Amino acid sequence: MIKDTQRFEPFTRDPITLVNEHGEWVGPFDLDLEEEQLRALYRDMVAARLLDERLLLLQRSGKTSFAMEAAGHEGIQIAIAHTVKRGFDWLFPYYRDHGMLLALGVPAVEIFGETLATRADPAKGRQMPNHPGSKPLNAFTVASPIASHVPPATGAAISAKIKGSGQVVVTSFGDGATSEGDWHAGVNFASAQGAPIVFVVENNRYAISVDLQKQTGSENLAVKAKAYGMPGYYLDGMDVLASYYLMQEVIERTRAGAGPALVEAVVYRYGPHSSADDDRLYRPREEVEHWKQRDPLERYRRFLERQELWTHEWEAELREAAESELARALEEAEAAGPVPEVWMFDDVYEEPLWPQIEQRRLLEEELGT
Amino acid sequence: MAMMTLVQAIARTLDEEMARDDAVVLLGEDVGKRGGVFLATEGLQQKYGPDRVIDTPLSEAAIIGAAVGMAAHGLRPVAEIQFADYVFPGFDQLVSQAAKLRYRSGAQFTAPMVVRMPSGGGVKGGHHHSQSPEAHFVHTAGLKVVAVSTPYDAKGLLKTAIRDDDPVVFMEPKRLYRAVKEEVPDEEFTIPLGEAVTRRQGGDLAIVYYGAVAPEVLQAADELEKVGVHPEVLDLRSLMPWDKEAVLEAVSKTGRVMIVSDAPRHASFASEVAATIAEEILDQLEAPPARVTGFDTPYPYAQDKLYMPTVTRILNAAKRLLDY
Repeated sequence: MIKDTQRFEPFTRDPITLVNEHGEWVGPFDLDLEEEQLRALYRDMVAARLLDERLLLLQRSGKTSFAMEAAGHEGIQIAIAHTVKRGFDWLFPYYRDHGMLLALGVPAVEIFGETLATRADPAKGRQMPNHPGSKPLNAFTVASPIASHVPPATGAAISAKIKGSGQVVVTSFGDGATSEGDWHAGVNFASAQGAPIVFVVENNRYAISVDLQKQTGSENLAVKAKAYGMPGYYLDGMDVLASYYLMQEVIERTRAGAGPALVEAVVYRYGPHSSADDDRLYRPREEVEHWKQRDPLERYRRFLERQELWTHEWEAELREAAESELARALEEAEAAGPVPEVWMFDDVYEEPLWPQIEQRRLLEEELGT
Repeated sequence: MAMMTLVQAIARTLDEEMARDDAVVLLGEDVGKRGGVFLATEGLQQKYGPDRVIDTPLSEAAIIGAAVGMAAHGLRPVAEIQFADYVFPGFDQLVSQAAKLRYRSGAQFTAPMVVRMPSGGGVKGGHHHSQSPEAHFVHTAGLKVVAVSTPYDAKGLLKTAIRDDDPVVFMEPKRLYRAVKEEVPDEEFTIPLGEAVTRRQGGDLAIVYYGAVAPEVLQAADELEKVGVHPEVLDLRSLMPWDKEAVLEAVSKTGRVMIVSDAPRHASFASEVAATIAEEILDQLEAPPARVTGFDTPYPYAQDKLYMPTVTRILNAAKRLLDY
């Protein structure tokens, strides 16, 4: 453990918070971020929220089959995008992290391409919406099976350690993932190897409908780190500044050789699990309203206003800029056109084997091409 | 040339590949200090260090899953699953991650990795040390599958598997690890995936097999020769891709075929071969394709030798084919 860089204590009783609900700085140290950085965090949170809305609209208008909302998760997601070394460190995200990937630098046209299964999708229309990935940015393509990306994340971290590359791996997942065997397998192996990896649980308290009390008997999720011999941080993930400072500290300490860490970021998802879910069946409206009062964007806006870094004009400007960029990207993704049918036979293997070759012919015959 | 057993050929090949390419790393339970419970990785940790021969926690999900991440990150991991019967906790990692990574990412990320596993029965291991689960893997697009039966093939195909850019499940018949010795060239050679080898030439019936049943198949072939029946005997060696052309040619030549393996019959790889033959060259058959397989029971302990296709069972099948 590298003591001199430690600012935060693991295993606290209350979530680590630096900005309270009124937007007041309550941190035990002086704020030392540049104005530009403070503004950039807000800009990216707004863009993530707007992307979320756009993706839902595409589902509602019948242009795509499915949407998953991330509103309420922006604090920790944007903080991660701003604290990793972009395109150098590796991210292993989950299916609610599209805002994180946008902030990381994944072009919106690729995210829309994936959503619409057009040629703009670098993954060639192979997956349902909300499963992006980017090789240039080392963002491991999302897979649906919960926590199945956690052992691979550990493997990449062990590889980074073997090579002495100086890279850190950050992997994120929901609260339900912490019940999966693969999660424990990945966390345990990383611990045994001292691999440079940070595990981040975006705890929105629900795995679809199953609330946290039915998920675990643990007092919280951060405490699970204790058994694995790593620090576990209990974080207010709706506080972007607390998330930023904590992630920066944990990532850099891990990079310096301190081994893995677990961060439990307490968030709330304002929407249902997905467009195929009806959360009124399991969440009282009062509870949703209560958490909306803690909206990470509004809280941070108040903070910026107190710092005299926010004005109505700036808000309007950045929204307009984000909206027009998203609109342009969506147009480009649609214009790319649908992926060809026969692409389904590519990339099963490096070169198609005879079953793919034969079956492709069968499909071409059926399609008359 | 050196005389060696199958497991020695595996160990030698791993050594050669690690010496050739620093990206090749081994991981699994007991593969380091212990050199593997079958000694397939004997001496390699001492030679290459604990970073390249990694003793892992007892977790197949961690072993296979970490191999996926290592491979995506640029290494060439060779994972060992101690017994094929124990692959199932890591099955999700093989099916959901390894097999689909290239596909789901549009080839942005790939998993060039090998998962070695001792498979098959005949060692008095009961149902949790004797299974042949290859059908699960062949059924999973994105995985390549190899099932060797000789030291020579083990070397040539393991080299190919390690250098392949796709995930390869490499099945090693544990009962044959030390059962046979043969000359294996010291020099470099590889065997392409999907290429069967003819073990006996003959025109009366075709016997197609792979893996652990090799001794019984070859003994049955000798018995048949003694009574004047000349079988064409084909060892598939690779199951995905498999050598359809060679199989269809052998069957066309003889009009009669049996497929022999020690996996259970239903939805087996033998069934796939039989179905393909029936679909493509039914008009050239003199008799229905026969499957000589394990039974549709869990692998039993007491009847260890009876579960696997015996020489008698193979000869009975040959008689039925010839009498049809």
